[in-house]
Amino acid sequence: MRELGGAALLAALVAGSLVGAASAYTVTITAAAPQTIYLQVGVGSFTNNYNAGGTPQKNATIDVVSTTVAAAAVGNGTAQAMTADTPTTNSFYDGFQFCKAPLPAGSLYIGGFFRTTGAATAAAQVTATVPAALTNAAGNTIPFSKISWASGGTPNPDSPPAEPFPSGTFVSGGVQNVGSMASNTWNESCLSFSYRNNTVPAAGTFTGVVLYTMSAP
Amino acid sequence: MIATIRPAAFFLALAFSIIWAAAAQAKTTTIDDAGTTALEPLVKLRWNSVAPPRGGVDNSMSGTMTVQVRLNVMPWLKRSGRIYLSLPAQQPGPIALSWVAQGRFHSGQLRSGNRVLVYAGPITTPFMEDLVKFQFTVDGALVRRPFPVTFRFEMDED
Repeated sequence: MRELGGAALLAALVAGSLVGAASAYTVTITAAAPQTIYLQVGVGSFTNNYNAGGTPQKNATIDVVSTTVAAAAVGNGTAQAMTADTPTTNSFYDGFQFCKAPLPAGSLYIGGFFRTTGAATAAAQVTATVPAALTNAAGNTIPFSKISWASGGTPNPDSPPAEPFPSGTFVSGGVQNVGSMASNTWNESCLSFSYRNNTVPAAGTFTGVVLYTMSAP
Repeated sequence: MIATIRPAAFFLALAFSIIWAAAAQAKTTTIDDAGTTALEPLVKLRWNSVAPPRGGVDNSMSGTMTVQVRLNVMPWLKRSGRIYLSLPAQQPGPIALSWVAQGRFHSGQLRSGNRVLVYAGPITTPFMEDLVKFQFTVDGALVRRPFPVTFRFEMDED
């Protein structure tokens, strides 16, 4: 019985030394992804649809949204639909035709995404820098506040429930928020612009440029 | 009647003894991995997709690390055993781990809270080594700051 007890004690000591020497390996994990934003207003560029491995590219195209008001209709208060000159109707996410009937033809696609380095953050904001007015060659003006847009799009089952770029009206001569993108989500809307047509400006072709900017926290 | 009962009682007792013996042999010991070294200081996570999905789901991030695994198996020298890679459940949440070994250990994958067999057989050398490339995958929503992940190698003695 003594020998058995001694053997048990020795076994316990050996086991104890094993536990003391044993260890677990620890590595440190950290987010290293670069923060990435992509905004497309009208025409955009991807190497391929995103879900087919495409990556976003730069595109410097300035899309033109316009309307021609018949002389008899000028200033009659009937809003005039404006159409975009771009054929962009499909989402680069998967090629899905996002801007289509019943939306008016000539709607403008706007979309993009905001990738953080890791966990969710505050949403990225999209603003429009709006001149005070559209002008013609003679210097006559039409306030940008005469232009509005209705937001829509053909929803996908995985589309967010609310339009990321809601309907609105330009504020003349200012910077206004026109939408937001929650972190780590894809966002898109179709904007159908219209000219209010409730005043009689001088004849001519009036132009102006609105700059869309995306800012991430 | 008595003669027919005895063999049955004997068989039952034998069955119990076999089960007890098997349970007693399944001793698990954490293996000393003090000689293990990582070839990179950090596991740097990147999104598995460049752009996020429409609905904000499947936001997985992955990062790799190559580790020179060196296990001190001297206590089991000239015996047989089974070595498992164990990834305990830990913060910040579920972790998927996959790895590719060079042959000394099996390649495989597992999720945190589990372990997977990486070697079974005789222990013929005091140390077992292999160059293993690990890939960690986590939900990016959980990655708010750097965090430690612990795994260990366990020996089940035959």
